[in-house]
Amino acid sequence: MRSLLIRIFLSFWLIIGITIGAAALAGYYYAERMRDTVENFASSDLLLDASDVLAQEGREGLRRWLEGRPAGGGITLLVIDSNERDLLGRRLPRRLRHLLHSQDSREHRRDGTQAESPRNLRPARALPQLVASDGEVFTFLALPAREPYRRWLDEQAVPLFLFFALLSSAAVSYLLARTVSGPVQRLRAATLGIAEGDLSTRIAGSLHGRRDELGLLARDFDRMAEKLEQAAKQQTELSSNISHELRSPLARMRVALELARRQAGELPEFTRMDQETERLDELIGQILSYARLDAADTERATPVALRDLLEEVVENVNYECRADNEKRVRVELRCTTEPNLTIYRGALTSAIENVLRNAVAHSPVEGVVNVHLEQDAAGILISVVDMGDGVPTNELEHLFEPFYRTRATQQKEARSGSGLGLAIAARAIQLHDGDISAQNDAGGGLRIELRLPSGESD
Amino acid sequence: MTSEPSTANILLIDDDRQLAAMLGDFLRPDKLSLTTCDNGEDGLIRLKQESFDLLILDVMLPGISGLDVLRKLRQDSDMPVIMLTARGDDVDRIVGLEIGADDYLPKPFNPRELSARIKAILRRAHAGSATSSDRQFNGINLDPRTRRAAVNGQGLRLTGTEFEILHCLLETPGNVVSKEQLSERALGRRLLPYDRSIDTHISNLRGKLERAGNDSATIQNQRGIGYVLIPNN
Repeated sequence: MRSLLIRIFLSFWLIIGITIGAAALAGYYYAERMRDTVENFASSDLLLDASDVLAQEGREGLRRWLEGRPAGGGITLLVIDSNERDLLGRRLPRRLRHLLHSQDSREHRRDGTQAESPRNLRPARALPQLVASDGEVFTFLALPAREPYRRWLDEQAVPLFLFFALLSSAAVSYLLARTVSGPVQRLRAATLGIAEGDLSTRIAGSLHGRRDELGLLARDFDRMAEKLEQAAKQQTELSSNISHELRSPLARMRVALELARRQAGELPEFTRMDQETERLDELIGQILSYARLDAADTERATPVALRDLLEEVVENVNYECRADNEKRVRVELRCTTEPNLTIYRGALTSAIENVLRNAVAHSPVEGVVNVHLEQDAAGILISVVDMGDGVPTNELEHLFEPFYRTRATQQKEARSGSGLGLAIAARAIQLHDGDISAQNDAGGGLRIELRLPSGESD
Repeated sequence: MTSEPSTANILLIDDDRQLAAMLGDFLRPDKLSLTTCDNGEDGLIRLKQESFDLLILDVMLPGISGLDVLRKLRQDSDMPVIMLTARGDDVDRIVGLEIGADDYLPKPFNPRELSARIKAILRRAHAGSATSSDRQFNGINLDPRTRRAAVNGQGLRLTGTEFEILHCLLETPGNVVSKEQLSERALGRRLLPYDRSIDTHISNLRGKLERAGNDSATIQNQRGIGYVLIPNN
């Protein structure tokens, strides 16, 4: 069916139709059955037939007529003679006997008028009786059909039709629900795939035959995913082109610098140039990784043991610290929890690394940076506390802005990173629906807290 | 080392011709003769026709990528390869090491660093003839003179770095060798922060040993310390 609208409309219509139809059928059947009951029998053609037969052929004729009556037709007809016996010798149901005795003894004449009764007497609801020419009275008893299935049908008609209506409407409803919920499930899985960074997710394949709104939605989804994938790919290509184009001159500069060194001997300016090219290189790297975090992330979230990741980063930052023989800063890690989280490993690694490097850069000689991994009701908390001078309160909120420099660092004009480190950390934490904040620690240094939701991000 | 050749022939595949020319000038006094080539297709042809001691390969190349060049080269050659990767591109670096590069250097690099790495790898490649006799352990056999490896008598193809790492582990089976030691021995340089190269070489080595049918010894990782070769019981 082409349209989901039509499908849902028709399904509901069908369900309601079936229900109404079943109810109407049940009502009709019930009415039909009533028509053949005892009460209506007196005025039925059957009684007229019997009357003719009795008048022409007498008792024996009536017996043959009764015998020749086809079975079924909704009723069983008993004809009781004056000896209270059925003409065909069938057993008279016990519960009907008292009916015969309570029977008004008034005689029915052939012409149907009643003898010896007031004209305004209301006719009693009596069993129909016929009188033969010899004066024998035959009482007619119309009973509901005796075949077991008919009787069962008679008794169960209403529940049966209800059951049928429920069953068929359930079947239609289930099929309808399935045609909607199946594709929605697939859409959901695909959306999750995209959200987790797998931009190659497509769904139209499995919903290919569908021409309804869900099929259209699937194709639209695929178009969107393709656009996203292209954009991400272009972004990655652009990043790597920028990286290549900016770094190629840097690479040539460094070789040229070394050649100059060889010819002119060591000059302090050469060292400076060396440092500056290195810094430029680092800055390019930081800008690119910030840009990469800003765009749709192409990394896939994976389950990671956070403690292991922290240990690795701390180890590497400590390694960098050891290279600086004058400062001798060290980073100490304390973990009171070992959570496994589904995270963007690269992004979170660079977040922690940037916060740690910032703390190390602002540490005094022989300072210690304390890293604490803990878990509380609000989630996972990684706190990084340094032994530096802290940051004036009014500058705290700007710390995570790109290229923001506190007045202290402006004055020092020291080599203190690219100015993007904390901005990268903030972006990476946002990517994890987490929270990053800075405050001055009671001990005087800067305290940066990284919060991550502890649950699996669904 | 005693038997270092007078001049080593090195092929550089990099599309930056100016850089290549300057590098040639820079490396010449170090007795390193640089041949340059600005694309992968020509590079592969030259590698077939001529004999080089070492290949320096830029990952970002026009046409077929550096990684593809390396993949093709590794089908029939174990010559030492140093990759030049974009800084920060961990994927290229790790894939390169997995395909079988010996070492990598992020661009832009200090040319003195490049020179040091080239020499370290060349020295290692020629050091074999001076060192001791065969090493054997549970069916694994290394001959440092010919730099041949075998598992249960079957020849095993290893890159120079893989050979050196396995050699290092075989010298003291059962004892942990630190990643720093392995880096110094096999790559001739210090271990760097975020340096996964030893781990990648070890994982390649494990794969090769396994495929060669070795089931009598395992290279185990001792977290935070290093690696150890232990016999399987």
